[in-house]
Formats: sequence, C-alpha cells, structure tokens
Amino acid sequence: MSLLAAAGPLEPAARSFLSPTGVEIVFLLVGVAVLGAALVTVTTRQLVHAALWLVVALGGLAVEFLLLTAEFIAWVQVLIYLGSVVVLVLFGLMLTKAPIGRSPDADSGNRWAALAVGLATAGTLVTLVVDAFRTSWIDLGAGAGSAKATGEYLFRHWVLPFEALSVLLLAALVGAIVLSRRDDEGKKPRPRPGKLRAGKPVGTSSGKES
Amino acid sequence: MTFLEMLLRCVAVLMVFLVFPLVIGQTEHKVMAHMQGRLGPMYAGGFHGWAQLVADGVKFVQKEDIVPADADRRVFQLAPAVALLPYLVVLLVIPVGPGGFVGQAVDAGIFFVLAVMGIGVLGSLMAGWASANKFSLLGGLRTAAQLMAYELPMLLAAASVAMAAGTLSLPGILEQFEWWWVPWQIVGAFVFFVAGLAELQRPPFDMPVADSEIIFGAYTEYTGIRFAFFLLSEYVGILVISALTTVLFLGGWHGPLPDQLGWLWTILKTFALALVVIWLRVTFPRLREDQLMRFAWTTLIPLALAQLALTGIVKVAITS
Amino acid sequence: MKLPGSGLAKGLAVTLRTMTKKTVTAQYPEVQPDLAPRTRGVIALLEENCTVCMLCARECPDWCIYIDSHKETLPAVDPNARARTRNVLDRFAIDFSLCMYCGICIEVCPFDALFWSPEFEYAETDILELTHERDRLREWMWTVPAPPALDPAAEEPKEIAMARKAADKAHAAAAAAKAGDES
Repeated sequence: MSLLAAAGPLEPAARSFLSPTGVEIVFLLVGVAVLGAALVTVTTRQLVHAALWLVVALGGLAVEFLLLTAEFIAWVQVLIYLGSVVVLVLFGLMLTKAPIGRSPDADSGNRWAALAVGLATAGTLVTLVVDAFRTSWIDLGAGAGSAKATGEYLFRHWVLPFEALSVLLLAALVGAIVLSRRDDEGKKPRPRPGKLRAGKPVGTSSGKES
Repeated sequence: MTFLEMLLRCVAVLMVFLVFPLVIGQTEHKVMAHMQGRLGPMYAGGFHGWAQLVADGVKFVQKEDIVPADADRRVFQLAPAVALLPYLVVLLVIPVGPGGFVGQAVDAGIFFVLAVMGIGVLGSLMAGWASANKFSLLGGLRTAAQLMAYELPMLLAAASVAMAAGTLSLPGILEQFEWWWVPWQIVGAFVFFVAGLAELQRPPFDMPVADSEIIFGAYTEYTGIRFAFFLLSEYVGILVISALTTVLFLGGWHGPLPDQLGWLWTILKTFALALVVIWLRVTFPRLREDQLMRFAWTTLIPLALAQLALTGIVKVAITS
Repeated sequence: MKLPGSGLAKGLAVTLRTMTKKTVTAQYPEVQPDLAPRTRGVIALLEENCTVCMLCARECPDWCIYIDSHKETLPAVDPNARARTRNVLDRFAIDFSLCMYCGICIEVCPFDALFWSPEFEYAETDILELTHERDRLREWMWTVPAPPALDPAAEEPKEIAMARKAADKAHAAAAAAKAGDES
C-alpha cells in the first residue's frame, strides 16, 4: 500500500484511487520498476550492464504506453529505442571493448550537476503535469491510441510541426554525411604500385556480384 | 474472449512454436543432404531419421551447461532467452486463417512484429559481449552492424504493404488483399525476404557466425540447452520470416476455398518459403562483410524506396 | 549480354537438379559394398598348399609374415628307399598392422597357398590383435572368389592340358591292353 500512498499526493481527489483497478496497480508497479531500472542504469559501474538496464527501463516505458492504450507509440518505442538505439549503444560499447566487470573510470565529476539537472527536470515535469491535469479524469477508451487515431491527429492537427521536424532531421542527416565525408577528397593517399596496401577495401570490383 | 479460449490459443501457439521449427530443421537436414547428393540422417527414429532433431534435443539437454570463468555470468545465461522469446511472441500475432484464426490480433501488427523481432538480436549482442571471447565479440559486432543495415529495408518494404492496404494490422492487410498485389509488391517482397534472411543470419548472410573465421560468432562459448535455444531461435526465425512474407506479400490465406482451407494455404506458402530459405543456404557461398553492407545500403534500400514510391503512385491513382 | 543474376539462377538450378538425382551415399553397415573380384581386402592362406618354403616371408618388404615349422620324417615306402622328410607348418601369421598390402607374397608363392580375399571387416581394438594366425587366415579362404573365367579364345590352362594328356594316355594304354587281351 506504500505505492498508493506515494501516488496519493499527486491526485488526492481522484475518484478511483481508493479502489484502484488492476490496470492502475500494474501501471504503478511498472512505473516503480522503470524508475528502479533507470536508477541502476546511471549508478552501475558496469558499462554494458548500464545499457542493458536501459533496455529494461525503456521496455517498461513501452509497457506503460500500452497500459495507457497508446498501442502505436508503445511499439514505436520498442522498435526505435530497444531495437535500434540500444543496439547502437551496445555496438559502440563493444567497439570500444567495454570490459566485463567494473570499469574503474566509469564515473564522472559531473554527477552532482547531472543529479541537479535531473531532479530539476523531474520537478518541473511533475509540477507541470500535476498542475495541468489536477483532478481531471481522462477516460482511456480502447483504440484511443491506435495507429489510426494517432495518424489522424498527426496528419490533421499537427502536420506543420511534423513536417518541420522531418526537415530538421533531414538536415541533421545531411550534415552528418557531410561531416563524415569531408576528408575524403584530395587527401586520399595514392596507391603505390607493387606494394600491398593495408586497409585496402577488398573486393571493390566484385561488389556487383553480391 | 474467455479465459479458456485464451489459454487454448496460447497452447496452440506454443505447439506451433515447438513443432514447426523442428519440421523445418528436419526438412533442412534432408533437403540439404539431397541437394548435395547425400542422404542425411537415416537412423534416429527408424524411418529416414525422422527423429533426428528430437535426438539432438535430448543430447543438448544432457550436456553440461558451461559458463566461461571470465564471462559475465548473468548476462551470458540470460542471452539465449532474450534471443528466443521474441519469436514466440511474434508467432502470437501472425494470422493463419480468416475470421480471427490468429493467436491475438494486434492493431499495429506490422510494427509489433518488426519491433519485437528487433529485440531478439539483443540476445546475440549480449551473448557476444558476455562470453569474454574475442570471436564472440567480433560476432556480436557483425550482428549489430548487419541488423542496423538490414532493419531499414525490411521496414520500408513492410511499410509499402501497409500503405497499399491502408492498415497496419496483419489480418487487416489480408482482408484488403487482391491477387494483383503480388506483382505490384514483388520488389518489396524480395527486399523483405532477403533482409529477413540477413536478420536471421542465415546463409548467404551468415557473416556473424562465419565458422571458418570466427568459429560460431556470438554463440562460440555456448553449450547444451542454451546453445540449443540459439539454434531453435534461428529456426523459429525462419518460420516467422516465411510466415510474415506469406502474410504481407503472398496473400496468406487467399486461395481456393479461403474460409475452409485458408489455414492450409498459409501453412503451404510458409513452408514453400522455408524451403527457399534452405535452398538458398545450400546454393550460395557466404557474402563477405563489405559485400553484405554494400548490398544492404546500395541495393536493398534503393529498391525498397522505389517500391514505396511505386506503391504510393499506384495507390493515389486507384483512389482518385 | 548476360542477365544480372543469371549466375545465381544457374546455381539454384544446379542444387535443384542434384536433389532430384540419386544420392551417392553408401549405407555401408546395412548394405554391403559391391566390391570388385580382385579387391585387395585381406590375405588368405590355403595351408594345405603351403610347403614352408619361406619365400613369402623372405620377400615381404616389411617382414610381417611369421612362419614356424618342423621337419617330420616319413617312414620309407619300400624297404630299399630311404626315409623322406617333409616340412610341417606350425605357425603362419600375418601382422596386418605392418602389412602394406603390396601382394608380393601372393605373387611369389610357388604353390598357390596365398590369395587375395575381398574381406575387409577385421578391425580390432588392439594393434596386437591385428596379427592374425593361420586358422583365421584359413577361414578367409572361404571368402576368396573363384578366379575370373578365361577368355573364350584363350589357350587351355597348363594344368588342365597336362591332366587331359595324362588321362588320354592312360585311356589309350587301357584300350591297348584290352585289345591285347582280346587278341
């Protein structure tokens, strides 16, 4: 019951917290799990474990979305964050040979600043959300977060922000490509005849056969 | 849906999960053998070695479960489950026949399937890192690179079908299906199938487990039942990819008498595709790592984008 | 111009065609292999023919044939003759862990006591047990196939020709004796 007590001050006048439904209890439990996983993510000294706990935290968030009937967002969360972002993070960690066991240098002098920023963000968000919704009750009908509903909202009411965001992302993408290819021209060392060059891309002529 | 019905569906999906991969595996044993002029297993079970994979399973269970001394124990032990379970979940949403002949219909089915399948690769990554073995690590790296390269064309090809049907739900797509979608989406089907093969690390895209270079990639250190889980996940993966290609591109249950025999058409098409997977494995040599990457980025993605554009144009032309 | 991917299609066709063909796997323990009559499986001994001349043991390049014998004196057939001696075989063994299946012993045997047998299932778990004694070698004699038939146009084998000549001679002598009796 301590969970309910913790949640109580957020919405004291909510009509059903005295007799919570199963979904609400699960929601709170998953929320606690997500919070725990997130805390372990930032406190553990083992780099890869941190990434794996991030998987748990992000997966828990997807479950929360599901419980709020936002099905589409939940699957996008899984696809993008679990399937791609974490894989990218793990790829990076493996490429830098993250050691098994504790990394002695997996610490940052900025942690107090980070803690302050994190707490401030959390405080702002909680205040904002609590202040915005107070005791209003949103009825979570089935299908409110389906792909159809999400699509209609996105492309009917929010088309302009959506397009602006895509242009922004495109610009970032082009920028990344330009940055990564900048040194490519002119500075290429010319191949010396008669010597094997290390790092020569093999099979440049046979690519078509694949 | 009553509790009993739910239980029944779950049990049915579990049965499919346990039986069909074995059937595919046995087919692979025999078909591969005959394609190479051999007989394949002939002893286990008596008749043409039908129980070979059962015997293999018994063997795997008996073997000692070894965890390398320097490995990250928990991650190492958890990895096979992470690799295997997503496929079980995916099987739940693949429609077999019309009228709710599906484990559980999901509104954004395509998204669900692709998202959950992406998690399975985390298992390989965890295995690769936690084994404390450089070959495993290399295998894990290659897995990650391959996944990131091939996830995109797969998504784009699936998006093309979703666009054509106007829905993300798998049964919904099949209800909209017309026969001329097959030629219309043929390029998308090719891209989807090939990218799916690459995600499963099946030959000719098996660079992450290339045994002549890195032993068995991320699974080098595994033995016994955990190793069997990885193998099983590969064969469930074949089932899932074949079934998904069937549902998305080949019209799933559509065929003569769809109401009575729909499930049969789905299963037949799925197994035909699984046979193609095996056939490709027998025929083609392994692609080199740079060829793999080039194939994904310079062939599959442009093809998928072209298919998407074609779908869009035809769709607008039809509806207007 | 070649179509792109035609090579891939050709590869697929090859594997598909192979699948429809008969496999080459020999299911050995169930189905015995069909061996040629002159297969060099193992060396069999027809000890009745052996005279302990020791040629085989001496010619053997790696000395893997062991022969023991003793002399036996036969009583004289008639009072004026002297007693004959003859060699009796005590041991004849071939160490198949040394034998290199060159077949020289079979070639040099002047009395046709050694033969090639197609039998090949005589593996043992201990290398010492690969030295097979004469009873085993004699048993393998039963697996030796009959010599291949002669070419129809071939000359008659010498043994048969000589036997026939002797038989004809005896016959003629008998006939002559009969004729002499009657006259």
